[in-house]
Amino acid sequence: MFWPFLLPALLLYVVFFIAPSLASLWISFTKWDGVGEMRSRGIENYKILLGDSAFLGAFGYTLLILVVVGAATFVVSFALTMVLRDMKGKAIVRAVMFFPYIVAPVVLSVFWGFMFSSDGLVNNAWHAVLGGTGPNWMANHLSAIIMLGLTWVNTGFYTTIIMAGVDRIPPDLYEDCSLAGATAWQRFRYVTLPLSWDVVATAAVLWTISSLKIFEFIYAFGGTTNDMPPLSVWNSALFIYGSTFGGRVPQYQFGYASAAAVVMLAAVTVLVVLLRRLLRREAVQF
Amino acid sequence: MGSRSARTDTGPVRRVGIVAVWLLVAFNIGVLLWMLLAALREHTAIFREPWGLSSLGRFGNFVKAWSDSHFGQAALNTVVLVVASSVVVVAVSAPASYVLAKTKTRISGAMAVFFALGIGIPVQVIVIPLFVMMQDAGLVNSLGGLFVLYVALSVPFTVFLLIGFFGSLPEEIEEAAAIDGAGALRTFVQIVLPVARNGLITALILNLISLWNETFIALVFIQDSGKQTLSLALLGFLQTQQYSGSDYGALFAGVSILVLPMLALYVWLGRRIIEGLTVGAVK
Repeated sequence: MFWPFLLPALLLYVVFFIAPSLASLWISFTKWDGVGEMRSRGIENYKILLGDSAFLGAFGYTLLILVVVGAATFVVSFALTMVLRDMKGKAIVRAVMFFPYIVAPVVLSVFWGFMFSSDGLVNNAWHAVLGGTGPNWMANHLSAIIMLGLTWVNTGFYTTIIMAGVDRIPPDLYEDCSLAGATAWQRFRYVTLPLSWDVVATAAVLWTISSLKIFEFIYAFGGTTNDMPPLSVWNSALFIYGSTFGGRVPQYQFGYASAAAVVMLAAVTVLVVLLRRLLRREAVQF
Repeated sequence: MGSRSARTDTGPVRRVGIVAVWLLVAFNIGVLLWMLLAALREHTAIFREPWGLSSLGRFGNFVKAWSDSHFGQAALNTVVLVVASSVVVVAVSAPASYVLAKTKTRISGAMAVFFALGIGIPVQVIVIPLFVMMQDAGLVNSLGGLFVLYVALSVPFTVFLLIGFFGSLPEEIEEAAAIDGAGALRTFVQIVLPVARNGLITALILNLISLWNETFIALVFIQDSGKQTLSLALLGFLQTQQYSGSDYGALFAGVSILVLPMLALYVWLGRRIIEGLTVGAVK
């Protein structure tokens, strides 16, 4: 019964994931608007990409989100885990912090935008506490605002994962620590971190994959169904959408955008392989 | 340092940490409350005093969002689409995951890895060929087409999740069924599925949530406002505000229509949702 059970899912997967991935590679060597004739173009698309400041900027912002938001999220998550480890009401805290993760990113984005709009919540508080008008966040600090928002959304999820890893560490190891007079930092450095390392490594891979998929949270800052947000906050996902279906006047540059897609897929692959290699450690038995 | 025990650590750093944790919790609850309350307030009041509570009780915002901005139609579309695709993707993935979890051959191992690869492929990478494909099939700008895409694109995660669940079921169940002389299909439907009910329900809920919130695919494949899903309706609503003047009260009413069902689901089944979403990383 192996094949009959497997086949429907396998078929869907091959037709809607594997074949389109290969097709993207194929289309990336052409000039095509999706309707007219498909003209072969060799590696021309890739050459143009390398000189396209919009693409390079988008790719750079993708990596910036990956590193900055990733680092912030993991530091905060670890800090929260250490505090929550033996705190009262830990289940409730975890549940509340996790919640943004299951809310539509569009909604979070709308709220985040309102919070930092010129007369929004933040500047109102700013006026009340510091006086004067606050900075124009949306115009001058949009990229930082977006990264702050992404950290907020993701913290609950990664805290939960890291907590699950830390919870498996036998408590008597911590008792040994206190007998030996270890400081909080030493406890973290020599017990918590090494013993939850495999969970951290998996979480890092997970974050890498999901950070490259980020789209809606940034897109909704454009404000409408048709308007893209400013070029300065495009990531590679937005770049692909912006050069094909997005914007008031869609570009339909299928060949060119496919080249960007292939670069993105290559980036995911390289990053995941690299991370796994980098984070590999001897498993600690406990 | 001395003999302070790890369990009763009450250093200043820790106290700051505890305060920070509760501030974060308060922030998250505050955000939710603020959005729900803003949905019941009048536009100018929200702007005049965003932190205030004046002019509370404007249920008209909901009426406005529901009827003027296609939220009613969109809600109906979303519910039907999301429920149907979640049920179908679980139905398609369950048998596959079952054989992949229970067959210990080289090919089943390779297949499991092959499916997991799909989780790493961002949908933006394959959206162009998908669009061309669906266009050829006449399935662009159709809810039927969106249904097909939602099912297909949810397969890798669902298969991955369910392999874990089926793998954790004890072998004795099928052995007992085999002794009773049940065939493979009967064993699966009558014996394995009921035992795996918990895993199937978790998979169903997680798909409901992610498809309920899905925006990108809908954005690319749906153009008519009558075929919009809720997240598209919300984006569309932002757009009409640019022409007819913004109305944040009605906007947050729209936001609430999108969030409240998820909040209800979360309050009811939060534990299961959290465990289901993180199980893959922790195992």
